[in-house]
Formats: sequence, structure tokens, C-alpha cells
Amino acid sequence: MRNSINRPPTPVAEEDQDHQPTLQEIINIKLIESGEKERLKELLRERLIECGWRDEMKSLCRAFARKKGRNNVTVDDLVQVITPKGRASVPDSVKAELLQRIQTFLASASI
Amino acid sequence: MSVPNEDNMTSHSQLSSHFLGDLLDSIIVDVASECHRIARLGLDRNLEEEEEELRLSAQARVRVADPSNSGEANSKYVVDIFGQTHPPVANEIFECMNCGRSIMAGRFAPHLEKCMGKGRKARPKATRSSTAAQNRYSRGSPVSTYSAYSNSTSTNRLSNGTSGAAGEEYSNGTFPEP
Repeated sequence: MRNSINRPPTPVAEEDQDHQPTLQEIINIKLIESGEKERLKELLRERLIECGWRDEMKSLCRAFARKKGRNNVTVDDLVQVITPKGRASVPDSVKAELLQRIQTFLASASI
Repeated sequence: MSVPNEDNMTSHSQLSSHFLGDLLDSIIVDVASECHRIARLGLDRNLEEEEEELRLSAQARVRVADPSNSGEANSKYVVDIFGQTHPPVANEIFECMNCGRSIMAGRFAPHLEKCMGKGRKARPKATRSSTAAQNRYSRGSPVSTYSAYSNSTSTNRLSNGTSGAAGEEYSNGTFPEP
């Protein structure tokens, strides 16, 4: 007899059985399943490229890499470098457009 | 702005902001990851040269915008963004393929107008219709047939459009061979 037959049953993944998905999670799933999240992300990426935001972030990264030494840079470093400036420098028009799209989705998903 | 269900609106806008932040973070990570790759692979060597060129061209643009440089009183020549000056009339000299004379480039077009016309004064510009061509021939003056002949040989060489008005009239191929 093979040992594998006698091995103890696989433990069930400790899933929180009482876990109620939050509203956020529900919406997130709806966004992803409908494909809207991907579309929104592409739209945001396109707008940020058009307005030069991406180039700004890239030059910040380049400057940081030059200072710290090219081989000492980690992705986390760069994320930390860009995030504050990045979040703050999104143009208002871009923000408004995306928020508008998201709110339309929320309304249509009847939340 | 009065909203029927205000609670819904604020939670909607909160949610929207949350998701916008989510998307933005995701894009930030993408950019950071790409820059990390570029830094590690040393692909930003070329970018430094580009930056240097951008800086130089910005400097040149400043120099051009500076009124004291391109003031008319200083010289007749205007400085372009590469710091070069060009004389107002192109002064390269070459040989006219029609009459064989040495012509200055900036004077070539008016020269051709006269050179390919009757040989005396500038010819009036005619339409391309065949009736107009027939009218020119039916005039019968020896000068006009001479000029028609000289046109047929030089049209081929000039049909790439570099000549002045005279050459243009025949380069569309409606010109009958004599």
C-alpha cells in the first residue's frame, strides 16, 4: 500500500466562513469581472502619458537611480520615490474624467 | 447642487476616489518596475545624451528669443536655433541647364522665367488646356517655336518640380512634342 493513501486529509484552507464581503470588495469584483477595471486602467494610463506625467515620474526615477547607484535600486525604492509626487501631480481634468467614469459604473451597477 | 440621496452620493464619491487611488497605485508600480528595469540594464545611457541635447536646444531657443541677438540693426542675418546664420538670398552658384550661364541659387527661379520664356521678357503664365497650347503655336512667331523646342528638352530634366513657373506648365505631360 502506498503511503500517500494513508496520509491525513488535506487541511481545509482556513476561510473565514462568516466573512461578509465589504461593499468595496463587491464593487471591485464587479469591476474586474465586467472588464471595466482594465478599461479604466488603460484610460488612466493613456491620459497620464498624454499629459507628461509618466515622463516626469520616469525622470524622477532616473535621478534617484543616478544618485543611489544603478545597481542598488529596488522597485520598492522607486515606488516610494514616485508615489507622493505621483498622486499629487495628476491633472484635475484627468482625475475628473476617471471619477466620472467610475461613478457612472457605480450607478449602472446599482449599488 | 441638491441631490435626492446625499448619502449615496458621498459614499459613491468616496468609493470612486478609492478606486481611482487603486488604479493610480497600480500604474505607479508599473512605472517604477519599468524604470527599475531600465536602471538595472543600463538602458538609460542614451537618455542622458538626449537630455543633453534637449538642454542645448533649450539654450539655443533662449538665445534666439533674446531680442538683442536677432535685432535687425545688428546684421542682416538672422540666427536660427542651431546658431547658424543664413543670408537672405541663397548665394550658391551653379550652371543653368538651359542657357549654360552661372546663376545664383536665390535668383534661379526668376532667371528661369525669363530664360525659358521668349528669351527677352518674362512670359505670361498660360493655362494647361490644349486650346491654350494651340493658341501659342498658332501665333507662329519664330521665337515661340524656339522656346517650345527648348522646353521639350528641359522639361524632362525639370519635371521634378525644381524649376520656376515656366517649367511647371509643361511638366504635367500635356505638352505635345514638336
